[in-house]
Amino acid sequence: MTEKKRRWAMVIDLRKCVGCNACTVSCKIENNVPEGVYRTWVKEIEKGDYPQVTRFRLPRLCNHCDNAPCLAACPVQATYRTEDGAILIDYDHCIGCKYCMAACPYDARFINPVRKTAEKCTFCYHRVEEGLLPACVTTCVGGARVFGNINDPESLVAKLVANNPVQVLKPEMNTQPYVFYIGADQNIMGARYDNLEKGE
Amino acid sequence: MVSNVTYLANVVHPVQLGILISIYFFYTGLSAGSFVLSSLGTVFGIQKYKPIAKAGVIMAVALLAIAPLHLIGDLEQPQRFYTLFFRLNPRSAISYGTFLLTLYPLNSLIYGWFLFRRDFATGAQELTGLRRRLYKFLSFGKTDLSAAALAKDAKIAKFLGTLGVPLALLVHGYTGFILADIQARALWHTGLMPLIFLMSAMVSGTGLLILVLMFSQRFLSPERAITPERKSLLLDIAQLMLWFIVVDATLMIIDFIMLYFANTAGHAAAQLFLYGSHRTMFLGVEAGLGLLLPFIITLLPKTKKSLGWIGFASVLTLIGVIAMRINFVIGGQQLPLSGDTLNPYTADPKHLMMIGIFALLEISILYLTFRFLPVYGLPQEKVQTKLQHPAVFRQ
Repeated sequence: MTEKKRRWAMVIDLRKCVGCNACTVSCKIENNVPEGVYRTWVKEIEKGDYPQVTRFRLPRLCNHCDNAPCLAACPVQATYRTEDGAILIDYDHCIGCKYCMAACPYDARFINPVRKTAEKCTFCYHRVEEGLLPACVTTCVGGARVFGNINDPESLVAKLVANNPVQVLKPEMNTQPYVFYIGADQNIMGARYDNLEKGE
Repeated sequence: MVSNVTYLANVVHPVQLGILISIYFFYTGLSAGSFVLSSLGTVFGIQKYKPIAKAGVIMAVALLAIAPLHLIGDLEQPQRFYTLFFRLNPRSAISYGTFLLTLYPLNSLIYGWFLFRRDFATGAQELTGLRRRLYKFLSFGKTDLSAAALAKDAKIAKFLGTLGVPLALLVHGYTGFILADIQARALWHTGLMPLIFLMSAMVSGTGLLILVLMFSQRFLSPERAITPERKSLLLDIAQLMLWFIVVDATLMIIDFIMLYFANTAGHAAAQLFLYGSHRTMFLGVEAGLGLLLPFIITLLPKTKKSLGWIGFASVLTLIGVIAMRINFVIGGQQLPLSGDTLNPYTADPKHLMMIGIFALLEISILYLTFRFLPVYGLPQEKVQTKLQHPAVFRQ
């Protein structure tokens, strides 16, 4: 059997997420992300009526999709895929047309107000290349975020994905995301439209 | 899906493609619409539309010269726009749009020159003063007025016009694909989108053409008047507009029926436009003012024969199509992808200023071309004043 190519992936075990936002903060510090925009953030919802109420959290980041709509949308090939599957942006070639931001079904991209180009999570590629883990993974207090090569059967991500019921965001979009969630509630994974229909 | 869900924390994702992009779509639509109307006489051989061929092509070129400025103005890195020409991505609608936006106005320009060459050549010989020098320059030395040369002009114009019609359709069809390709946005992701854009382009293109014809024939043509023949042609074009409105409205109705029966996001989009906060802009301005009222005006026997009413209907179609561009471009992005409220949009004052400047530029270009180019033939006084004209003695 030939060895498969390395493919970076992340598993987020929501049973272990406490919603402390340490990932949000560490990402901002590590990647020098300006005020008001986020490469990773934590969505939080409350489901049910008192006394039957639960709070759910969903850490969000770029899904580094196999079939990435942003990659198809970019008119100047500033968005590209590395050999190990991460989707990155060449900031020297991005013209800032924002078409990728319209194309991403996950709201993962934003315009860096300082650099004036599109930006998003890179899986901390600069760290990963040096053999380190992404900043959000190292800082996660509950150990909810796990990062690794999903094509290596010995890696923790491969084991977690194989042995747990996992979900991805919006599978119907055929984007084939590589961020997997364990224990995600359906109500927090997409958008909610009931407020809009009430005429808000 | 359970209903008692409350969002406590999420990140706001403001709308990115805003008013500049909407207005860009409006300009390209106007350009494509006026080109197709220009080609009715020259390409499709419908004699009664021959007099508007030149006006149509001037509008097509003048509008498409300004349209891409909106796109460049919207870039975060406008100085890098030229990389669009060589860093290509065949999967991106913007990438092939770059070439369509270059080829189409060039083709229209050359097509227009062949329509005008006869007047340039005649004017260079018979006129005096500024116009003589201008036409002499614009004829580029091709002053052959023999029947054979003129027939050749018509043949080349027909060929370029034939090439121009699919180009015009592609230019505006591709703008539809820019939106339709995006699966993430429920309001955009439909095969109807390029057709809807094309038909609203025809509606607004006809609307502007009627207004420009009225103004230029009254104030800038050699006759300085809307002659009875011109009036009947204007009313005729208004009847074309009626049918474009019918097709456009039909497509829009089909689109919203489909959305209503679509998945959660599509249904939410339909709800938003039919019952929600975008109701006034969609049902009121886009459909009511922009389609229904002009439809009634061009339908009723009394109003469809009045130039005043037709002009009013044309203004309404323009307002309606601007509203349509804004509704689809901005409204499509306001529908949340990960939140539970509409994504906010605030127009950047810099962008509004750019739109104002580009509009002034557009109006100036249109005024100058209709003022100085022989859109309605050459000035009449040319021959009899030849001897008395002081310019003749000076030469």
